[in-house]
Amino acid sequence: MRPSSCGKTFSASVARAINPANPPRRMLKNEPTRRLISALLFALPAVFAVGRLDAADLNLLGPNGPTVDFHGFASQGYISSSAYNYLGNSSSGSFKFTEAGLNASFNPLPRTRIAAQGFTYDVGPAGDYDVVLDYAMAEYTFNDFIGIRAGRIRRPEGIYNDIQDVDLSRTWVLLPQGMYNARWRDFYVSVDGAELFGVIPLGGAGSLSYELYYGLQHPRLDGGLALQKANLPPFAKLAWFNSPQMGGEQLWWNTPLNGLRAGLALNYDRHLTFRTVTGVQSEGSPITQHYSLEYVHDSWTFQAEYLRFRINYENTVAGHLVSTKLIEPDSWYVSGAYRFNRWIEAGSYYSVYYADIHNRRGTGLQFPSDASQKDAALSLRFDVRDWWIFKVEGHHMRGTAQLLDNVDNPVRQDNGWWMIAVKTTFSF
Amino acid sequence: MDDRREDNVQLLAVKFPLHHVMKPISLVFCLACAAPVASLGAAPFEGAAVIANEGVPIDSLSASALKDIYTGKTTYWQNGQSVVIAVMAADDTDTALKSASGMGTSQFKTFWQRMVFSGRGQQPKKTDDAASLVALVASTKGAIALVPADAVLSRVKVLEVK
Repeated sequence: MRPSSCGKTFSASVARAINPANPPRRMLKNEPTRRLISALLFALPAVFAVGRLDAADLNLLGPNGPTVDFHGFASQGYISSSAYNYLGNSSSGSFKFTEAGLNASFNPLPRTRIAAQGFTYDVGPAGDYDVVLDYAMAEYTFNDFIGIRAGRIRRPEGIYNDIQDVDLSRTWVLLPQGMYNARWRDFYVSVDGAELFGVIPLGGAGSLSYELYYGLQHPRLDGGLALQKANLPPFAKLAWFNSPQMGGEQLWWNTPLNGLRAGLALNYDRHLTFRTVTGVQSEGSPITQHYSLEYVHDSWTFQAEYLRFRINYENTVAGHLVSTKLIEPDSWYVSGAYRFNRWIEAGSYYSVYYADIHNRRGTGLQFPSDASQKDAALSLRFDVRDWWIFKVEGHHMRGTAQLLDNVDNPVRQDNGWWMIAVKTTFSF
Repeated sequence: MDDRREDNVQLLAVKFPLHHVMKPISLVFCLACAAPVASLGAAPFEGAAVIANEGVPIDSLSASALKDIYTGKTTYWQNGQSVVIAVMAADDTDTALKSASGMGTSQFKTFWQRMVFSGRGQQPKKTDDAASLVALVASTKGAIALVPADAVLSRVKVLEVK
């Protein structure tokens, strides 16, 4: 399943077909608990960072055993918008934008590596600080050409899918949301399965990096779909998900031009199925195409990506087909970033998302602006210390396709709206 | 069991719309092939030396092999020992690091953070100065580093870059 906006479109369309009424919001953990968790999230990286333990290597497996590498990060963001509520109650200003991870890895045997990461997040109504096993895998590398990793693995797709919740890895606070939706990580960031990976030299034509994976997704009713649930009337709430099989590949052609690479990802979900509390079952097998282009030259980084998603789903009740619908969202963006020095980086991107390429104008929708969302972003990143970064970012949006929080955004139109996002991250 | 086998077969049988795929691939191919030939290969390492732990099973390597190490494509030495990249926090080896990896210092740091937090690699170890970098390489199996050419070397080997 391509869960970002596409997954949202998939299940949201089911909800709309049944009843467009506004749903109740999800109950969150109480505020003292939230504050305690936040404090703990920041305490660990801060201790390591202030103590200048850049890489915490511990001999946990005995003096002659392999050292265990520990790394971690904690991010806190703030979002404020001039209209609508986006990723939380942003029109009033929202701090519900937190992520933290802690990982460990070691090499128990030659060519073998074990790695695991715990992760928690809270983005608007999604996440709610539930701690999840982000990845946990064993990896064996036969040679540069081929290796295998198995367990819970992060799923490669495009430039950012496998690291989209790691604030350190990019210039931006928010990635282009039509392609990398911050609320949907539980769906598509990792799978339980295995992948082959390696690099194939192409002589004068550069090299080809590949990852081929297959596994089970693990969507959670209390995970990223919490947001979707918030849009459903009580009788249409989701009561069950299957764990769909997902297979795909990510190829990167590392061209002979230093810094230029081109990527192609193809993904297939087999029989993603969910059921509402009233027994309406929806099933589809989506296919995703994802094209990427990245060029890093001196202090410049340029990126462009295009994603297209296709799903033909069926709604059944007690085994009887009641409706079918084909949906094809697509999204693209172009970006450029410049690193002035070790401390300052600036960048900008323009992204476009269409909820359905067969209806780009929103004909027939209650709010035609829900057909698309266009986002022009300008970002500044400050690397204050090696272990501390700070970002500030402005957005100008047109369209409301990413705003499906009906209870927060009961009326939507195509007037432009502004948003500012600030975020800081500690890491070690 | 049979169902799973059937699932796998059907997965392989999925047909993707290839005409959508080929257009952008062709565009990128043309762009890359238009790259100047001068961009092939790595620049020389001025003012820096490549050192490694004495247990590393090579005495020389090509510039492209060094780049494969610094860009995470090569993660193990021939003897199965994991490659451990060590870097210096100071600016002294920035130029050499760029020659070796094709990335600036900040891009190099971001690249490895992405590798680490996606579970795909081990972050380079960092020291404050050349002396502690040499000491780290000497005491860490599989370690490799770029050091200033005038650094005092002890219990490490210098790798020739061909």
